[in-house]
Formats: sequence, C-alpha cells, structure tokens
Amino acid sequence: MATDLSDVLPRIRAEHVDALAAGAVLLGSGGGGDVSVGRQLLHRLVRERPVELRPADELAPDTLVIHVCLVGGPDVISERLVDPDDLAVAAQAVVDHLGGQVGAVGVLEIGGLNGLIGVLAAARLAVPVVDGDLMGRAFPLIDQTTLAVDGQAITPMALVSPAGDIVLMTTGSARATQAILTSTAVAMGGAAAVALYPTSAATLARVGIHRSISACIALGTAYLDPRATDVRAMVGLLGGRLLFDGRVDEIRPRRGTELGSVTLADPVSGATARVDHRDEFLAVSCDGLTVAATPDVVVALDPSNRSPLRTDQVRLGQPLVLFSLPSLHPWPAEAAPIVGPARFGLDLEPTT
Amino acid sequence: MLRLGIDVGGTNTDAVLIDGSRVVAATKAPTTPDVTGGIVTAIQDLAANTGFDPARIAAVMIGTTHFINALVEADRLAPTAAIRFGLPATGALPPLVDWPERLSRALGGHSYLCHGGHEYDGSRIDDFDEQEFRAVLDKAVQAGARSFAISSVFSPVNAEFEQRAALIIAEELPGTPISLSHEIGRMGLLGRENATIINAALRELADQVTTGLARSVAGAGISAPVFLSQNDGTLMDIDYARRYPVATFASGPTNSMRGAAFLSGRLQCAVVDVGGTTTDVGILQQGFPREASTDVAVADVQTNFRMPDVLSIGIGGGSLVTGDAGAPAVGPSSVGYRLTEKALVFGGDTLTATDLAVAAGLTEIGDPGRVAHLDPAFVRAALDQVAARMAEVVDRMRISAEPIPVVAVGGGSILVPDELAGASAVERPEHYAVANAIGAAIAEVGGEVDRVFSVAPNQRDAVLDEARQEALDRTVAAGAKPGTVRIVDVEEVPLAYLPGNATRIRIKAVGELSLGGDDA
Repeated sequence: MATDLSDVLPRIRAEHVDALAAGAVLLGSGGGGDVSVGRQLLHRLVRERPVELRPADELAPDTLVIHVCLVGGPDVISERLVDPDDLAVAAQAVVDHLGGQVGAVGVLEIGGLNGLIGVLAAARLAVPVVDGDLMGRAFPLIDQTTLAVDGQAITPMALVSPAGDIVLMTTGSARATQAILTSTAVAMGGAAAVALYPTSAATLARVGIHRSISACIALGTAYLDPRATDVRAMVGLLGGRLLFDGRVDEIRPRRGTELGSVTLADPVSGATARVDHRDEFLAVSCDGLTVAATPDVVVALDPSNRSPLRTDQVRLGQPLVLFSLPSLHPWPAEAAPIVGPARFGLDLEPTT
Repeated sequence: MLRLGIDVGGTNTDAVLIDGSRVVAATKAPTTPDVTGGIVTAIQDLAANTGFDPARIAAVMIGTTHFINALVEADRLAPTAAIRFGLPATGALPPLVDWPERLSRALGGHSYLCHGGHEYDGSRIDDFDEQEFRAVLDKAVQAGARSFAISSVFSPVNAEFEQRAALIIAEELPGTPISLSHEIGRMGLLGRENATIINAALRELADQVTTGLARSVAGAGISAPVFLSQNDGTLMDIDYARRYPVATFASGPTNSMRGAAFLSGRLQCAVVDVGGTTTDVGILQQGFPREASTDVAVADVQTNFRMPDVLSIGIGGGSLVTGDAGAPAVGPSSVGYRLTEKALVFGGDTLTATDLAVAAGLTEIGDPGRVAHLDPAFVRAALDQVAARMAEVVDRMRISAEPIPVVAVGGGSILVPDELAGASAVERPEHYAVANAIGAAIAEVGGEVDRVFSVAPNQRDAVLDEARQEALDRTVAAGAKPGTVRIVDVEEVPLAYLPGNATRIRIKAVGELSLGGDDA
C-alpha cells in the first residue's frame, strides 16, 4: 500500500468531467462512440454528489464490483440518449442474482462514452467507482478485457432497455455471451444498458488496469491545456508518439465484418500511411511498415482545430496527424490472440 | 439576366449587380438597425451609379447575419415551447437542458416530454398519446408560449409524431408558428432539437424581417423574387426563410468564400476575409467551403449544423494599434463601424490598422498627410506582426504541407501582404471588398438527404440510387432548374457497433436557380 497516490483524485467533481470526457475521446482510439451525452449527464449528477474514486487495492478485498456500460450504436445513443436509472437497474439485476450488495462500480472500457458510463452508474448508485478499467482503450468485443485474459467469467450479465425490459444471462461462454449481447441490444432498439463482469476488488487489484480514470483525467487536462498551441506541442504534452502527418487520400468504408481503411499521403515527402479500422483505429502502417497496432491507442487529430476524430468522422481531403498514446497496461504475450491485430483478422507484424 | 446580391453585415450593407458572370456595379452603405434602411440606400446608390432598370432584375439574393445576432443578444426571441416525443426514453436530458440560463430564460424555458418517437428501424418507442399531447399543449399555452418546437426520437427516420403534433397545433391554434425537428436538423436528437428550438424562437422576428426585406426590395421597383442565402451557400425563397430563419446562421463566411472563388476563379485556396474587427480564414475545396468536422456551438448552444470551418483572429481594418517599434500591438479592440470618424486618415484621433496601411503606402484612402508623422520602423513592425499572425492562421487551416494560394477579400484586405509565409500566391481580386454580396448573388439551390437506410445484401446500389434520386428531387422542389442539378457530396457510414444493414446515408445536391421563362 506504499503506492504514491499524490496524483490520484479522491473524488470526481463537476470540474473534472470535461477533462474525463476529453481523455476518454483520446483513449477511444477513434471509436467508443460520442461522449457528449455522457458528459452532460455526468455534469448534472456529480454537481449534486461527487463520485468517490478508489483504486482497487484500497477497497476491502471482498468488495463486490459490478462493471457497467452501454452497448449498441452511437447513432442510436445520440437519438435515444442514456438514462442513468437503466444503468442502476442493470447493476441491481446482477446483484439480485448473486446476492449481497454493490460495493463499487467498475469501468469496462476507459475509451469513449463507456469511460464515463461507469462513473455515471456509480454516481446514480451512490457507491465508489474503481480507478481502473478492463480494456485500457475502446474495444468492440466484450471479452477483450484483462479479466477475460485471466479466465474470469463475463456473466452473470444483465441488459436493460429504456422500456424497462430486463434480460439476465446467468452463465455463458465468451462466444455465446457476445452473440446474445449483440442480438439483445438490437432487439432493444440498437442499444442497451449492461451490467457484467461481477468480480471482487481483490481480483481487480491483481488483474485490472490500474488508475486508468486518473490517467484519463490527466490526459484530458493536458489536452485542454491552452498552452498546446500547435499539434506537435500537443502530442508532446500528451506523451504521444507521432506516427504520420498528412492528408486523407482514400477512404474504404467498413462493410459488415470486413475492415475499413484510410489512406493518407504526405504531399511533400511522398510518404503514405494506411490506417486499418473497424469501429476503432486498429493499426497504422507507414510505407508498408507497421508502426502501431492494437492494443496501441491511435489518435487521429484534425490539425485545423485539434479535435480527435472518430473513424466515422474522417473525410476525404482532410489533413490528419496520427499519433499513438502510451499504453495504460502492459498486456501479457498471451493476450495477443484476444486484443492483438489477429483478433480483427489483421495479419501484421508490429515493428515497435 | 441581372442578379442583385446584397450582404447585410454588422457594419456595412454591400450590394452588387451581376449580369451573367460579370460584375456590373458594386456599392457599400452603412447597415441600419432595422436592416432595411441600409438595403434601400445601397439599391439607390446602385441605381444612381448605373441607371439599371429595376424590371430587368431577375432575382435578389440577400445574406444576413441578423438572425444569429438576435440569438447571441437574446433579443426579440418568441416565448417558445419545446415539446419532445421520446418517453419512456430520453427523460434524463429534457429539452433546453444545457442551454445557457440567460437564453433559456429569454425563451420562457418551457420544456415538455411526451411518450413516443421511433427506434432506428422505424418501429415505435411508444404509441402517440393524443390526450397527453393536448394536455401539454394547454399547459404550454397557459405558460405563454407563442411558438412551438417539436422534436421526436429518430424523426429523420420517421416523422409521424412530429407531423401529428403539427396537425393538432394547427387545429387548436391556427396560424401559430410550428418548427419540426426533422425539417431542420440532422441525426442526433439534442443538436437537432436545439436547432429547432432556436428556429422556433426566431419565427416572430423572421416574420418581421422577411416582410421588411420584401417590402424594401419592392419599394425600389424590383418585382423579382427575393431569396436568402443559407449556411451551405445555397438559396431559400423568402417564404422558406420566414419558416426556417435558423438556416441563415453561417451564411456570412460562406458567402465571402463563395464570392472569393467566383472572383478569383480558384476552386482550391485559402480565403482570408478581413473586415472591420476580425479576419476570418476558411478553405475552399471544389469551390465550396470546407465544413467543420465536429459539431458547432451557436451562442453556447450545441447544434449539429454543418458549418464552414473558419478560424478567426481579432485583426481588422478598424483594429486599435498601440505599443512601439519594439513591441507593437494590433487588435483585438476595434473602432468597428466608426472607422470613418475615428481613424487618423479620416480626421479622427485613433491609430488604427487602416492608418498603418495608408502610412505604408499600401492604399490611398483619407488624408495620407495625417499619418506622415508615424515612425516608419513602427509602421513596418506593426504590419509585420499583422502578416505573421495571418500567416499563422492560414498555416493552421491549410490542408497539406504544400504552400496554398491565398485569396484576400473584404474591406480590410489591404492589410494582407503581397507575400505571406506558407502561401504560394496572394491574390486580391477585383471587387474584393464586396465578395460576400457576390457570394450571395451567385448562390445555387440545394437539397439534402440524411437518414438511416436499411441496406439488404446486394441492395447497396439500389438504396444509394434511391437516396440520390431523393436528393435530386428535393433540389428541384427547392427551386433548381432540373437539367443543372448534380450530386456534390455522398457519404455512407454503417452504424457502428451494430450488426446488420443499418447505414446512415447523406447525399447533397445543388443546381442553378430556376427563374422561369427567361433563364438563358
């Protein structure tokens, strides 16, 4: 317990929300949906009651932690919005099945909207949120987590719709859980509130990704720092590694399970880069050499206004600065089939 | 065919007369608080200069920043009820939730939720509850609402709830202005709803302004139809503008850039538009302004309009100049529209950026003798600073590492130096001072589709064709000549994180304005 906690916040207050949201966008690696609805809701909720932020190793080891997130389409969420009550109902449904009570809420993925949803659920349930997450970025599949790599169960899992429908899956394999999660979300109108990965604080202290909420807020604070006047200064301030600076030459949209890609060119040097993506950016190759690959976090910044773009916001002819962020988690070698390029059908050999 | 283009800015009202692609005459008059006074003066000036026959004018195109200014100043906004169909979803963030207190108070803050709306696949979230809606309507009327903004979840997919609500309002409160979100904004409930509420709040002002515009044009003996320019540089007729004032919001910078493209003949360039107080820099791609890639806040309200991507700095012809040769300071304070009484060259007592330009011999206006005493080193240093800051903005906006041609327009563009770091050329075309009015005069008619389509396997081409046809039809319906309509933008994005066939398709078309028989 001798960890240096000087940069760990005791509570998430209203003044941290914008930085948390900005950091979550960066960590989304071009995916994870639109954070704005989560940011607005979180502003309202924590204004009344700040959320206690606790590292897993500071909670009692047997504390029951439920992970809460949203699944579904960002376009659905931007229309139908999010109800914090649905998140609480989902967490409660899992606890009702297990017995006991929720000791803390965990964040499933720190990247994108779900980086805020766990905090929102904790605010609504009036319990602490664990300062960590299970993905260290945004990933599309439910088993791309440190807990799954460690062999922990995803279930029991509950899905809740705005209409009040509740689906509880008590036990299941990763494959079936993913299929049922997706098809249930579609049946619920394309998005659902989800509670899953019930676990203990002790397990999270052992295999969770640590301090990712603090790290996310720090990243967002650096991003919002007005001193970063040009893009290169900003990449430096974020601790990022510059990958490419160029203009979008060609866009091949994702079709079904087939990956999409964006090709960029640097008109001066003639260099080209290719970014593979599904819902997030997955890999960057410069002149055929892979310079970053999942689970690396890749950010595509529009240099004219310095905003990070999602895969669906990239347009033809647009200037983009690509950089990667330092990893929040040292994924073990055995995680490669789960979070590495091969999981997305990419045959790449990262050179870094 | 003569076209009269008018741009009503905060300081000046500019007017140009265009014959085909030739600028016949141009003039500037001070803008008056009632908008119409400046227009009347400008038309009189043009008539005096050219002796044109009002009957020969085929169309009048007006660009105005009046409506966005009214919103920013929370001035003359109608008491508005915002009613959303979405329950049991969306209740955690009701309408008006994130509006600045001052604005939402100016509207009366009437926000209501009803059951209904649709899912992305077009099925209902809940049924239409007529009793519930009529009760909400009664409450809103009792609270003083005079204009209604109706939104419904996924109304771009299915507008049924908004249309039924409009029928009931029309029946209960005949003549009351109604704004429906599916006619105004895109996908994204809160942004679309906010744009709809803004529109509803501006409806009473729009009635007055459009009536005034039509009257002043008719008063000048011009019987041609009147159009207003929209955010994307396309036109709407005056009746449409009366119902959709919010569509004029970004027309100012768009018109300047379109005018710059027309005057310079360049389709790919940076446009530096220098006014009295600010310099706005935008990028032209294929002759149209590059759009901002992210959502734009208007008066601190989040909307999901596509706006031109513009960076502004506080340097203009009226900018105050202070400091010394070692550390000159230009702007952001400005004498604004009082330039002609405040600036040294016009006999005033304030050193402005315009005085620097005269002292350096860049232009001949006013009395150069009144700036002859300025230290040449100071003038040089201050103008160098202006050049450096403009170059920095151009550099931030340009789309590639290659130097980019720069077209300078606007009354203050004498401040743009002939050489700019990062610019392959700096061009100040003829009639640069009235580029915005020219942009209005040459505007075309547009139509757009932005919806979620269900794309079954092997049906992609058919679905895209259907969407293309709809965009073309809309453009013709908006007043375009059928033979000239063309698709200018196609975007196809599968809904992320969802399996299956739902794809969001956005298609934009434009065409030349149809003016009846004498088109040629």
